[in-house]
Amino acid sequence: MNTIDRHDNLLGTCGLTDAHDRLLSADEQLAELQERCGGDLPGTLAIPELLELVRQSRRMGLRIARSFSAFDGDAMISGFARIHPLTEADGGGCEVLIDNWQRSALAPPSNREFAEKIDAIDRATAEVTARLDASQRVQVLSAIAPDAADLQAAATAQPGAVWSDLVNLSAVSHYQPLHWRLLDGAHCGFDGSQRHWRIRLIPLGPDAHNPVGFELLLIADEPLITVPSDEGDQAGSEDSAPTRLIGTALTPVLRQPIARIIANAETIRARLAGPLRDEYSEYAGTIASAGQHLAAMLDDLADLEVVETPGFATAREPVDLADAASRAAGILGVRAQNRDIVIEVAGTRGEAVATAEFRRVLQILINLIGNAIAYSPVGSTVRITAGPAGEGRVGVTVADEGPGVTPEQAERIFDKFERLGRDSDGGKDKGSGLGLFISRRLAEAMDGSLTVESAAGGGALFRLELPAQ
Amino acid sequence: MGEETMDLAADQAVEAILRDELAREDRAAAAVVPVLRHLLASDAHALVRDAILARVRGMVVDCAAQLLAAMAGRDPAARSPSLADPAMIDFWADRLMRDEPLLSFCHALANEGLLAEKFQLRRAIDPVLSPLLQELIASDDPAIASLAMSALAAQSRFIQSQRRMELPLGELPAELFHAVIAIGLRHAADDTARAALERVPLRYDEAASRLGLLARLVAAMRRGAVAAMAIDHAGLALFSSALAAQTRQPRESVVLACHEGQGARLALALRSAGLSLPEIERQYLLVEPAARMPRAIATLSPEHAATMLAASRAAS
Repeated sequence: MNTIDRHDNLLGTCGLTDAHDRLLSADEQLAELQERCGGDLPGTLAIPELLELVRQSRRMGLRIARSFSAFDGDAMISGFARIHPLTEADGGGCEVLIDNWQRSALAPPSNREFAEKIDAIDRATAEVTARLDASQRVQVLSAIAPDAADLQAAATAQPGAVWSDLVNLSAVSHYQPLHWRLLDGAHCGFDGSQRHWRIRLIPLGPDAHNPVGFELLLIADEPLITVPSDEGDQAGSEDSAPTRLIGTALTPVLRQPIARIIANAETIRARLAGPLRDEYSEYAGTIASAGQHLAAMLDDLADLEVVETPGFATAREPVDLADAASRAAGILGVRAQNRDIVIEVAGTRGEAVATAEFRRVLQILINLIGNAIAYSPVGSTVRITAGPAGEGRVGVTVADEGPGVTPEQAERIFDKFERLGRDSDGGKDKGSGLGLFISRRLAEAMDGSLTVESAAGGGALFRLELPAQ
Repeated sequence: MGEETMDLAADQAVEAILRDELAREDRAAAAVVPVLRHLLASDAHALVRDAILARVRGMVVDCAAQLLAAMAGRDPAARSPSLADPAMIDFWADRLMRDEPLLSFCHALANEGLLAEKFQLRRAIDPVLSPLLQELIASDDPAIASLAMSALAAQSRFIQSQRRMELPLGELPAELFHAVIAIGLRHAADDTARAALERVPLRYDEAASRLGLLARLVAAMRRGAVAAMAIDHAGLALFSSALAAQTRQPRESVVLACHEGQGARLALALRSAGLSLPEIERQYLLVEPAARMPRAIATLSPEHAATMLAASRAAS
């Protein structure tokens, strides 16, 4: 859920591979990177540089120590890996210890270079390209996508047509042709294609303010799926691609600056560049934790926007709740250990199989268990039980030994931005008050329910119920 | 991938000058190993009184002595030239000298040792305990402090062993260690020797070697590693590890770039690590006090500098 930043950890993370370089078990961070690199757990190590190191260590039978880095989709991960090969008797794999796990946003390139790179990427991925004259009339247009063949035919049939007459511009209701800067980056559709296309207009000639012509690129937002969908979706219809302010507009822009604030504050806090007075180090710690709060909030808001989109639907697949529970518990294992909390998972695999979307179930469980860890006293136990729950239903419960919830609180706890007075917690609590709201909406989207009651021992007990397979 | 092939406009003339400079330096650097091998193999080595040659030879002979000690079932650290047959040591040293990567590595180590001495004489830069290392040892984080202490100990052992022209096998990077043991296994006289040699890798841990410790320390400094981008503040050893990690170059190339006459490489490496012109100039003048730095280097983007270095590495 929180994909921006995690506390960097000097002791780091560890994992275990077997004789075929499959990652058998791993701590939270390593497991997440493995999944983000497209691997499974257990499954072949998917982090390219680590795989290379593990192979090397196994081949030479030597303990090696090297730095490695990987791209997880959002940021660069780097760390210092120590790899200890194990004997045949111990499985013939390797023990992988990673120190100095570090997640850093890619340094933003300068504007000019960035624009050049974007142009180069767009040129390489455009499926429709055209050359326009200074008044945006098509001189030549060529398409490589099958669904754009009609567009190419139309352009050939009407030589000298203004390009915007050939396509349906989305959300632009002005007299054409518009100033090119207003059209660069807009979206359009055209007859024959169900896809959404992004427009790039790159001015040609020495003077960008007074271009002698344009390069027109149409870049599809989705790949072409050869089997036509039977939903009868109209091309270019506004509903099918709702613009999401936070998820698609705000989050990508804010993620990087926030990640940099956190990273730099952490550097100051840990005094990695030299000695510093305690007070300053503490201020930096406050900046870092405020930044992490902001980052988590942003992710939650993006999630919120997704679940509140009309027509939000989840996939239907068999989900073994006991398996999902133990994975979620594994992911939060380090956080629980830091507070001396024991996570107990009860339930036999195969007994409680729901029809739901695995990713979403995991998201709900991580939220519930994360809350349980955060609000339980140090040294207590969090109990997770998966099993059948009445006619055609299966369920999983998460019970903690915390202060519990009163009936009035239980009424409000799933409300949006509800934090039940936890703001007073000296600023340590980093919740946005959205986690449970999102979790309940997700549960409902899967025809399930999420409720809270008092646990036998006095804490809170959250119950997620889903339709059985 | 796309980045390297994209056409990033820059001042062609500047690039041409730097590229020529790099090519010249590359030719000089590429000639090192063949010449070195030739000189070492010649019987005239008593006459070649060059500190680098002596050190490389000393280190290789020391590795041979350790292999012999290991094959005799003794701890390789307890090698003693007097215990071994000089003919045997020559035999093994000859085998090891055929390994080019090993020679290259020893050459870089010898250079590092001599450069560290030179910096101490001319610039009063302590070869063992630099101001930065001192700060790291005083770190609040016990893990960093103890790592820095271990690095300090390893660095002082390194300087000492350079003076004695020795190279403990455990200080080799994993690939070279593996190669040396493989050479030992291939030419071992009998099965007892082979069996004894096979036990040696069990004690090897790259993370505990000097280069391993320095790399770990650099990794532990994280973004603070920019503090190590100055030879006078970090000392040559930590500087080389930090710059190598930052620019993803082999550490040996960075060490050699600190040599007089390799200034363009150093300047480019520093630029690709993102340093500004005054910072680069400061380091450049430490290395090349008499030369003038190509100031146009500031017009190159760090990525572009990295691309040029990578291209020159690939070409050489």
